[in-house]
Amino acid sequence: MRNRVVITGLGVLSAIGQNTDEFWKSCLEAKTRVERIPEHWLHYGDFHSQILSPLPPMDYSSYGIGRIEEKQLDPSSLIALACSFQALDSAGLEYTTLDRKRNTYSISSLDKDRTGVFMGTGIGGLSTFASCFSYQVLLRQKEKLAKAIGQLGDHPIREILQQVHDRMLHARRFNPFAVSMTMPNAGSANVGIKFNLCGSNNAYSAACASGTVAIGYGFKAVRSGELDAALVGGVEYLRDDYGAVFTGFDAVRALALDNDHPDRANRPFDKDRTGFLFSEGGGAVFVIEDLEHAQKRGARIFAEIIGYGETCDGFNIMMMESSGAQITRMLELAFADAAISAGEIDYINAHGTGTRLNDETEAAVIEQVFRKDVLINSTKSLIGHTLGASGAIETLVTALSILHKTTHVCRNLDNPMKDLNFVTKVDSYPICTGLSQSFGFGGHNAVLILREYR
Amino acid sequence: MAQLTQDEVFAKVRKVVAEVFKVEEGQISLQTKFMDDLKAESLDIITLLMEFEEAFDKTIPDEDAEKLLSVQDAVNYIMSMEEKVPQA
Repeated sequence: MRNRVVITGLGVLSAIGQNTDEFWKSCLEAKTRVERIPEHWLHYGDFHSQILSPLPPMDYSSYGIGRIEEKQLDPSSLIALACSFQALDSAGLEYTTLDRKRNTYSISSLDKDRTGVFMGTGIGGLSTFASCFSYQVLLRQKEKLAKAIGQLGDHPIREILQQVHDRMLHARRFNPFAVSMTMPNAGSANVGIKFNLCGSNNAYSAACASGTVAIGYGFKAVRSGELDAALVGGVEYLRDDYGAVFTGFDAVRALALDNDHPDRANRPFDKDRTGFLFSEGGGAVFVIEDLEHAQKRGARIFAEIIGYGETCDGFNIMMMESSGAQITRMLELAFADAAISAGEIDYINAHGTGTRLNDETEAAVIEQVFRKDVLINSTKSLIGHTLGASGAIETLVTALSILHKTTHVCRNLDNPMKDLNFVTKVDSYPICTGLSQSFGFGGHNAVLILREYR
Repeated sequence: MAQLTQDEVFAKVRKVVAEVFKVEEGQISLQTKFMDDLKAESLDIITLLMEFEEAFDKTIPDEDAEKLLSVQDAVNYIMSMEEKVPQA
């Protein structure tokens, strides 16, 4: 059984837009958001890259999430919920209160047992873990230190010890919800709980390919008839008090280096690229449905998902295999799955991180496999790298590019590394079929193929 | 800072309890029992402790949770903590 699977709801939170309309407008205007890393991080390390793309301040109360509820959810779960609310609203799926105390809803036009949740994340609730870990490690030591400082009088060492004390940052208390906030499946589970959805509910962790993989598995479950509908996507939250996650990528020199030109440092597919722009996070969630189910309720259809492919390099935990053989095979599997040929692809939303090797390998595969005039862009050139959310956000861009027959430029692409058809201006383009591909640490390669609904 | 009166503590406790259990403040009296009247689950009690700590700027040891069965218990407990605050 192979049902057709369509996208009927869209939701997104990103550095350049907190809903689909705002995000898409920002994309077409090639907006970006880059700032220096927090000044206090410099107390804890020497950073090669000193820029990041922050999220705007979020107001989760506008999604009906209460003050206490917010404290019991990691930001990655809050992003998952906010994007899910948006996706359901955009799908015209009404939700009504199920349990006032738990602040949960039910969706009357969906069969709860036949609706699933498939959510990708690279690191889950690591920021909550980091915050609780700091509390555990530092609280008592800091109290002892404070007592000792108090006994020092005007000793010259007092000032430096006070400085050390003040730089020992930790949460106000150990959050008793630490486990349920940290676990990588929290985002997926919280969406299921919030909307009382009882079909398959899983988190997918494949580093930077997580979002793409999650959507792929949701797509397969709906296509097979196992489910009528699903909320699918990817979320990530990467900020912590000390910049520890940032350091993890900086230490392996994966991040953009042109600190003196924050606005120009992020340049995927450019000859002068130096690494990726670290993003604070974000997410995108879709409502996907079996076509007949969507038609019966008169849903608006944004695009159709027609194929998915995945492979693993089986080569290195952080380095992409440079021949791109498994990326090529991933594409062949996806073309077979969608029953199309490479020549039918009009548009590629590339992984396009801006690291030397990724772009080199990806560009070589694109040159080898696709039509010479296939349109290519990298959404990371605008928002940086949101890791596990990136595949979902880029699938959103692919769907919108198909829907609106236009797409965004590759920002800062002044000297393309290859003579490919990178998008350099926002124009009308005949985009009927497009794909979004993602490659993650561990060698995970995944691609989704989308087509205009007809 | 001046110590809170029993009425002031009750007012703050009632506000916290209403928010945690999503009920109107008017439904909460000193006699209200968390388990019997508000159908509290273990996670609700943990949440209550966290919110009391924040509202009164105190640290409540986890083992004291079992002493707090009703609004009256919570008010008495917090009043007793208030009394322990050394006076400047």
